[in-house]
Amino acid sequence: MRQEDWSKLARIMSKRSLWMVHFCTGCGAMEMPPVLTSRYDMERFGMISMATPRQADVLLVTGYLAVKTLKRLVQVYEQMRDPKYVVGFGSCTINGGMYWDSYNTIKDLSKYMPVDIYIAGCMPRPEAIIDAFLKLMDMIDKGEATGWKKYHKYYKQYKRNQKMAFSYRLDEVKDIEEGDGK
Amino acid sequence: MVMNIITSILVMSGMVALGFAIGMLFNGIARKVVARIHNRVGPPVYQGYIDVFKLFSKKTNISHGWIFDLAALFSVGGIALTFLFLPVAGVSMLSGEGDLFLILYLIAIPALGFALGAGASGNPNAAVGMMRALMMMLAYELPIAMVIVAMMVYYNTTSLAGIVAMQSNLKWAIGIPPFLIGALVADMALQGMLMEKPFDIPLAPHEIATGPLVEFGGKHLGSIILYKMMGTVVETTLFVDLFLGGGVVLNVNQFGWFAYLVNFIVWFVLILVVFLIAVIINAVFPRFRIEQALKFYWKYDALVALFILFWIFSGVMV
Amino acid sequence: MKAMELFSEAKEIKKGRIRIETTKDKVEEMIKKLKNNGYEHFVMLSCIDWIKDGKFELVYHMWSYKYKEHVMISIKINRDGETVPTMSHLFPQIETYEREIHEMFGVEFEGNKRLVSFVLEGWPHMPPMRKDFDTEKFVKEHYYKIPEVKEE
Repeated sequence: MRQEDWSKLARIMSKRSLWMVHFCTGCGAMEMPPVLTSRYDMERFGMISMATPRQADVLLVTGYLAVKTLKRLVQVYEQMRDPKYVVGFGSCTINGGMYWDSYNTIKDLSKYMPVDIYIAGCMPRPEAIIDAFLKLMDMIDKGEATGWKKYHKYYKQYKRNQKMAFSYRLDEVKDIEEGDGK
Repeated sequence: MVMNIITSILVMSGMVALGFAIGMLFNGIARKVVARIHNRVGPPVYQGYIDVFKLFSKKTNISHGWIFDLAALFSVGGIALTFLFLPVAGVSMLSGEGDLFLILYLIAIPALGFALGAGASGNPNAAVGMMRALMMMLAYELPIAMVIVAMMVYYNTTSLAGIVAMQSNLKWAIGIPPFLIGALVADMALQGMLMEKPFDIPLAPHEIATGPLVEFGGKHLGSIILYKMMGTVVETTLFVDLFLGGGVVLNVNQFGWFAYLVNFIVWFVLILVVFLIAVIINAVFPRFRIEQALKFYWKYDALVALFILFWIFSGVMV
Repeated sequence: MKAMELFSEAKEIKKGRIRIETTKDKVEEMIKKLKNNGYEHFVMLSCIDWIKDGKFELVYHMWSYKYKEHVMISIKINRDGETVPTMSHLFPQIETYEREIHEMFGVEFEGNKRLVSFVLEGWPHMPPMRKDFDTEKFVKEHYYKIPEVKEE
């Protein structure tokens, strides 16, 4: 019981102090400056952008991801300390958006890393971004934002999907499923 | 005898806890003030407490060897020790004679721990940041050391507690013309010591990704941030001790515990004012390059400090 | 109108825009000549896939700040593995354009030592900008077939 109280307190504290790593991909990063600065001021919720993934709690994926970018994104995600949360930003991370038939952009981010919350739109307005962050805070408070636990639990499946995307070939699957999924 | 030791240990830990609490509060106040200057709402003033709690409740800790682990403790321990050597509102825990030299050395210890951790992390950004931090130390220590030597000559003591005692009855050093200029010089050096904006070259988040802090995260980062928060208290207290009489307004022997209370409140207000000056300068300035900072300190700041030194010497000679 | 005077085969297709059609062994000489006559800016190197003719068209774009003229030197090569000599010794930025065209169209540039992968890392299929590469089919068979993460 005491352990539970303690983690509840930790959740209440950490939801008011979300530090995000500002990883800019695609055009979505353009919507962040108004959110960060005087007009919409995200700091009133305790959110600031950090320079390195080691210090951050939230990974904001702003826009489409080429396969080459996904490699870097996975590295950034794995460098972050638990508990960590991923926010998929714009329709590109949901189903590819306007890049639905591009040969080099991934279509669905949740196949490669656990996404806690998506923001729909192309581009989402700053109000939508702030709304999403408030929802994320609510989820953290209730203990529903468990993407990082999911990544530990289904690590093999995520790694398999990442490997398939990186090599541009589906037959990698067999190698991985027959072996023990390194 | 045993009781005495236990009481003094309790009082000391109380002082250190007070220092940390004020440091965290100052972090929140600074962010709020900067936000208001930027025409934003800003975080609540208790944001510092939340941040530190969150960092210590992070679940994974990625370590880069035992030096990296030790460095975080080294910084926090070093800054706490420095705080105990400073007379706070006239109460000095560990100081004896000649402690001004000791403090000047002790202030370098936590920065050294910081450097150890940055070196152990092996990140090139950390190495660049640490090089810049040591350059900055070299730059701002020269003017502040000259001003401190001038004070030692004027008050004819090397003890900080002695200097504070001689400034009692509101005979603050800032009221003496050479030391009014000296306070300005030291305030500029303080800006570099606190790593506030024109001189936040070692951190420079947009250039070298927070420099020495680049590999710190979770509990390690929590310790380093505690060190930085406590550092603001230590450095502003040093300034207040030197120039503003350490916040001592009432004689303890005359008024008893009431004097302690008033002195602590005055000390708090004074360090807050000194800190806010630094924060307000921080809010409106961009960042210097390292050679510009070095030039500023050695060309203008040190020159003025040298002038004060001559002024005091000639005054003493006459 | 400097380029018109320099080369007899130059055609003015629009005011300030000159097109020269030539063969691959004359390109180096032409770029050198243009470079020495005030066309000091190499803008870009582009490639077009004329699949019906079985040709790739490489276009070298140059610009002169002095004459305010845009010169396009166009050469045609066979689609099936014809090599082109590199021009990267004349303008260093050509190296990167050649690298990109090598990756996207599969054109080999003789003498360019840096034809390693550029945007696509480890691409195992046909170069994707060729017109016989079916993008939609590839996307449907690749990205849409990657399985979702199943929760047990």
